[in-house]
Amino acid sequence: MRRLVLYVAGQTPKSLAAISNLRRICEESLPGQYEVEVIDLKQNPRLAKEHSIVAIPTLVRELPVPIRKIIGDLSDKEQVLVNLKLDME
Amino acid sequence: MTPAEIDELRRRLHEAEETLKAIRQGDVDALVVGASDDTDVYMIGGDPDICRSFLDMMEIGAAAIDNTGRVLYANAVLADLLGRPLPELEGMRLAELTGDPALEREILAGTLRRRRIPLGPEGAERQVMLSCGKLRLGTVSGHAVTFTDFTEQLAAERSRQNEKAALAIIACANEPVFVCDTLGRITHLSGAAAALAGSEAIGRPLSAVMELSVGDGTGLLTLGEIVAQAIEGLPVQGIEAVAAEGTPFYLISAAPLQVPGETVSGCVITMVDLSQRKAAERHQQLLLRELDHRVKNTLALVMSISRRTMHSEDTLEGYQKAFTARIQALAATHNLLAAKSWSDISIRDVLVRELAPYNEGFSQRILVEVPEVEIEPRSAIALGLVIHELATNATKYGSLSTPEGQVRVCGIPCSDDLAGVVCLEWLERGGPPVSEPTRTGFGQTVIRHAFAYAEGGGAEVSFEPDGLRCRVSVPTGV
Repeated sequence: MRRLVLYVAGQTPKSLAAISNLRRICEESLPGQYEVEVIDLKQNPRLAKEHSIVAIPTLVRELPVPIRKIIGDLSDKEQVLVNLKLDME
Repeated sequence: MTPAEIDELRRRLHEAEETLKAIRQGDVDALVVGASDDTDVYMIGGDPDICRSFLDMMEIGAAAIDNTGRVLYANAVLADLLGRPLPELEGMRLAELTGDPALEREILAGTLRRRRIPLGPEGAERQVMLSCGKLRLGTVSGHAVTFTDFTEQLAAERSRQNEKAALAIIACANEPVFVCDTLGRITHLSGAAAALAGSEAIGRPLSAVMELSVGDGTGLLTLGEIVAQAIEGLPVQGIEAVAAEGTPFYLISAAPLQVPGETVSGCVITMVDLSQRKAAERHQQLLLRELDHRVKNTLALVMSISRRTMHSEDTLEGYQKAFTARIQALAATHNLLAAKSWSDISIRDVLVRELAPYNEGFSQRILVEVPEVEIEPRSAIALGLVIHELATNATKYGSLSTPEGQVRVCGIPCSDDLAGVVCLEWLERGGPPVSEPTRTGFGQTVIRHAFAYAEGGGAEVSFEPDGLRCRVSVPTGV
C-alpha cells in the first residue's frame, strides 16, 4: 500500500501549485502507484498534528514507512521523485 | 540515550532544518501556528482569498497567473468567455488558455501591456482587450491579466460605420433615392431626390412631396400604393410614372427595407429619369414612320420608272440599260441624302454627283455654276432624275454626242412672283443641229413633270437650233 498526503492551506498560490504539480507527477511518472489525499488545513487546522505539519504546502509519504516529507510546491519534479522512491528497494 | 532515540532526534533536527530552509527560500506560503488545541493557519504575505474575492467581483474576465504562466485564480466571467467550467481553468497554462504561447512569453517577460486578441471556442470567438500587470500573491510573484470583451461594442461600431456608409451611398446616388419608414414617411433621401422633393421632404409621405401620375394598367394607381405595397414586403419594379406637368418620365422601383433576420422597417424607392429615353423612343418612332413613308414612295417611283421605261423602249436590252441607268441615278441621290441623314442637301452636290459619269474623260465639257442653295430631299430626288435624263439625251442626241459640244448648268433669276424655288438653266452648245422631236419620250415626261408637285415648280424645254435649253424651277422646300 502506498499513500501520499498533501497538506495545503485553502487556495494559496503555493497550495494550488503543489496540487497541480503532484497531479501531473503522479499521472506522468507514478501512474496508479499512490493513493493521494489532499487535506486543507485552513478548513481544519487540527489535522496538522497527525504529521506535525508546520509549513504549507507539505507532501507526506505516509506509506511505505518510514514517513517522508517534501516541503514546497513540488515544482522540482526530480527532487520529488527521488524522495518518493527512497527506501523503497 | 539509546541509538534509536538519537536517530529520532537527528530525523527531527533534519526536518526542522528543512522547514526553516523552505521558509527562508519562500517555498511555502502558510504556516501552522499555535498549541495543539488552538491551532491556526497563518498566511505569509496576506490572505490570497482577498485576491480571489476581488477577481470574483470583477465584471470583466480576470486571472492571476504565477511566474511560470500557470493560472492560480480565474473568475466566472473569464470561464464564460472561454466556454469552459471555472474549476478547469485553474492550473492551466495561460498559453493553453489563449492558444497563443508567444503571448504567454511576452506577458511573463513583462513586455506586453495591452493587446486585442480573439478568445473563446472556435466559431464563438469574442474580441477581447487583454491587459496585464505584475502581481504579488503571498510569496509568489505573478501577473494579473484581464480580458475585456468588446465584441458588442465592435459590432455596434461596425454597425455605425455600415450605417454611415449606407447613408453616404444613398446621399451620393445619381438617381433619386428615397427611404421611407413603415408609415411611408421619408427618412432619408439622396441629393438628387432632395433636389426633386425639396429640403423639407424628411418626415413627409413620398406621395405628398412628389406629384406623379403612375401609368395605367399596372394595378397600382398611386405612388402611395406603391410605397404601401413595398412596406408590406412586396417589391415593385419598373413602373412608369410621369410628373404632373407631363415631363419628366420616371421608372419607379420600390423594395422592402429589411435587415436579414429582422422585420421590414420601411422601403427604398428609386426613380430613374426616363425623359431622354422617352424622347429617343419618340424620335425612333418618327424615323421609322418616315422611313416607311420613303420606302413606299421610292418603290412607287421605281415602279413608275419601270413602267414608263418599258413603254419608251423598243427592246428588252434597251429597257434594261435605260432602267438600270435611271435606278443608278436615283441611287446616287439617295446616297447623298443618306450621308446627310435625309436632311436638306445642296443643289451643287446633286449636280456634281449625277454628272460625274458624263464628265469622265472630257475636260470641262459640263460646266456647273449654280448657287449654294439647299433643297429638300424630295426636290433632290426629282432634280437627280431630271439631270440624268438631260445628260442621257445630250449624250445620245445633243451636245455631248460630239467631241466639241458642251453643257453649261447655271443658276438664273426666277420670276418675281416665284418664292421658295431656285431656277437653273441647262444649256447645250456645240452639238449637232437640234430639231423638235416627233414624239415625247420618258425623259421629256420626267423633265416636264418632276417638279410639278409644288407650287412654282416646273420645267421648260426649248429645242433651239444651236442646242437644247432647259429651264427648271426647283422647289427648295426650305
